[in-house]
Amino acid sequence: MANEKKNFFDRMQALDRRYIYLVVALAIILPLIIPFNSKTYVTEPAENVYKKIDSFVSPETNLGRRDRAVLLVFNHDASTMAELFPMEVSILRHCFQRKIPVFTICFLPTAKPLMDYALQTAKEDFNVQSGIDYVNFGFKPWALFTPIVLGMGDDIAKAVETDDEGRIVENLEIMKEIKNYNEMNLVVDFAASAAVVRWITYARSRFGANVAAGVTAVMAADNYPYLQTGQLVGMLAGLKGAAEYEKLVDVFAMHRVKENGVEKIVSRNYSKEVLKDSWIKLSDIKNTSYKMARLGMNAQTIAHIMIIVFIVLGNIGYFVNKKRDAKK
Amino acid sequence: MKRQIPLLIVIILGFIFAIHTFVPHKASADFYDWYQTWMKAISPFMVLLGIMSLFMVNTAKIRRKVPNWQYSVVTLLSLIVTGAIGFIWGTQEGTPFMWTFKNIQLPMGATMFSLLAFYIASAAYKAFRARSLEATVLLAAAIIVMLGQVPIGMAISKWIPEVSNWILNVPNLAAKRGIALGVGLGMTATSLKILLGIERTYLGGGE
Repeated sequence: MANEKKNFFDRMQALDRRYIYLVVALAIILPLIIPFNSKTYVTEPAENVYKKIDSFVSPETNLGRRDRAVLLVFNHDASTMAELFPMEVSILRHCFQRKIPVFTICFLPTAKPLMDYALQTAKEDFNVQSGIDYVNFGFKPWALFTPIVLGMGDDIAKAVETDDEGRIVENLEIMKEIKNYNEMNLVVDFAASAAVVRWITYARSRFGANVAAGVTAVMAADNYPYLQTGQLVGMLAGLKGAAEYEKLVDVFAMHRVKENGVEKIVSRNYSKEVLKDSWIKLSDIKNTSYKMARLGMNAQTIAHIMIIVFIVLGNIGYFVNKKRDAKK
Repeated sequence: MKRQIPLLIVIILGFIFAIHTFVPHKASADFYDWYQTWMKAISPFMVLLGIMSLFMVNTAKIRRKVPNWQYSVVTLLSLIVTGAIGFIWGTQEGTPFMWTFKNIQLPMGATMFSLLAFYIASAAYKAFRARSLEATVLLAAAIIVMLGQVPIGMAISKWIPEVSNWILNVPNLAAKRGIALGVGLGMTATSLKILLGIERTYLGGGE
């Protein structure tokens, strides 16, 4: 056997894994260095998150109602930033453009700088003020998670007490018409774990708050039962979900029109027909932070194809060798 | 007494909180408010306890020169330096703390998670074989879901994302729901055993 000449398939079966690593690295790095346009197809769970947030816009003023707010919960660390950060920035941009009051909070110390970073990135192009358009509740110890989630059902200001800048939340202008989950009617939990279930258990079941999830692709499968039952109003699943939300924001909230040669943003309401025919060229979006997920999806597409090619090659080799062994 | 008092605290408070969930009386709500105030006061001590524990474990490793004790030095140094720059210059944008986060913590964290892609590709090539009917079904499902997750799947055929969604919404959901029901029943049973003092392993002591 030792002297038997190895054929192509034998060599492929015993391929050094470092070659596989090299191919995967190239499949991921090259599309990021050389970006290309690919169409993003929006799925229903992502659409539902967008529509829910957009429902907080008053039809009269076409701006966010002051008695409605969205709570964004940052429940992850830097390791899952590639998937979750683009969706956080997109949702913040959506809220800032539509003037929907936003609250942010985190219960992990490692999530705090990410939350600050997301806020900094999203508010670059908007004239928004802390305490009026948004408020960052900052980091609260994990031990206080349940008391805060339950406490928000009665009084948000009482439950969190102070914001990230040490101000009394009750005194902030943003809180004038917002008391509890009746007003802060959507919680979006960004997590790489099953943390979103706790919001369903406490905020949804007890107070009827709407809960949505922004999770890594690995965790998405765990949340499908809650999507089907309606306990989750929507879900952004991994980089794909982030890319879908980026597109929704660009097509509707950040819709650009040219008037007398000057480009300006005119938000428009969600429409399935408009979405079907929309095509956003990535090269038209100058800020890389606003197209991060769609650029990443290019790399993910090539990586998935590579993995499928590897699986097919491995199986061809397996069956060829099996047939040869059977002949012997 | 060392075991009986903690056991008594758990049993009494466990029942009180269970009752609080189902009884919306003012006394119950007042008790919960009182508890919340205590929790806020106690939680900083938990952080302190964690830091003390980290120091004790790692200094012991350094003192005993156990294998890879150098990593403990790095852990402690990182903790001290990060904590110090956070206390001195604050944690806002533009501070050394944020610089450390963006240039050290962030790429290190991303690197750890991105290694998954390499392991998955290698494992898929080496182990994903259609050896049996079950393995073939798994293989086909994996390929369809992988294609359904990227735009090229839709470009090939509109059925690929449809089938991918069906796999996630029907067989995957059924399995997940079964697991969730099992876990839920297990948690209820364990909680009841703790409340009734039958389950005591959480107290330690190797009983």
